[in-house]
Amino acid sequence: MRDYWLSKLFFDLQTPAAAAEYRAGRDAVLARYPLKPEVLAAIENDDVAAMAPLVNAYLLRFYFLVSGMPEETFLKRIRASGNKTAGEANRG
Amino acid sequence: MAELVGIYAASHGPLIVRNWDVLSAACKAAITTGFDELGRRINAARADVLIVISPDHWVNFFMDNLPAICVGVGETHDGPPEPWLNAFPHRKMAGHAPLAQHIVTQAFTRGFEPSVSYKLALDHGFCIPLWKAGVAPLPAIVPIVLNTVEPPLPNVRRCFEWGAVLAEAIASFEGHIRVAILATGGLSHSIGEATMGAIDEAFDRECLQHFASGHREALFTFLDRRMEAAGNGTAEVRNWLAAHGAASAAGARDFELIHYSALPEVYVGCGFASWGTAR
Repeated sequence: MRDYWLSKLFFDLQTPAAAAEYRAGRDAVLARYPLKPEVLAAIENDDVAAMAPLVNAYLLRFYFLVSGMPEETFLKRIRASGNKTAGEANRG
Repeated sequence: MAELVGIYAASHGPLIVRNWDVLSAACKAAITTGFDELGRRINAARADVLIVISPDHWVNFFMDNLPAICVGVGETHDGPPEPWLNAFPHRKMAGHAPLAQHIVTQAFTRGFEPSVSYKLALDHGFCIPLWKAGVAPLPAIVPIVLNTVEPPLPNVRRCFEWGAVLAEAIASFEGHIRVAILATGGLSHSIGEATMGAIDEAFDRECLQHFASGHREALFTFLDRRMEAAGNGTAEVRNWLAAHGAASAAGARDFELIHYSALPEVYVGCGFASWGTAR
């Protein structure tokens, strides 16, 4: 099940200025989104596995690029998450 | 009447551009081989208009409204917003509003209800193949977004039929223009999910054999059975299906594989193909 506001945050961070603001200080940016406590905790902990089912996989991958997580770290964590988005897609 | 002068497909993995400087020589050679021949064929077709079918990677659309199909009917389109595509040579691209509007009108008579956009930004899915294939001079672009990114996705048969709609719309357009179709994306790849980086080469090769065979039901059945498991990015094969449908409607032109390589360095089963007449 997608989380709208987590997805919106990731979507908005595609703007270079927004991404720069986020890297400079997450709290001010996060305060603008009505995120659920468990979602906020997942962000604060860079918890890839917790966030993976909540957002589109492309947005997830983009977020961790923008937030500065090394590619090898992201690969290790997403592979360990077991999250496979295809199961949610329509067949055909 | 307009003339359909070529139909093409190409992968569009972002790392082809983002990581170009650090790719191995073998990987670069495989990519260059495919794009060079693709570009030669597209340029030889001398199209006035190029219909480009690609997903929107969260540039124009969000979860507030995600169209299954969107036709870009604008007079112009914006270049790619991705910062790593700043070197793409076109910040604005000409559209072809009359043909785009005709496609939409014809679609509504054929059981499709695409959305329209008068202002699209064309992301890497559109621009990497145009750039790396060296398409020049750049024809007017009619961009068509096919949602292969966020479910629900259009089913494979509808994608094929959508291609037929495009071919019929081109054939009935009252303007003496040359039109080509370029489908982008695929083949197998997996992004942001547990199988990220995996390429299902067996899927890709069997998929390409099905395209070449011309047996559409076998192709549909194969994709229904195998596409999901081959990675979320593999959904972009739907764009190839639209090209295939256009080719079929235009007279069963043969599918020709230009090049295929499984390229783990760019996370993509990288394919290039042509159904076109200009070789």
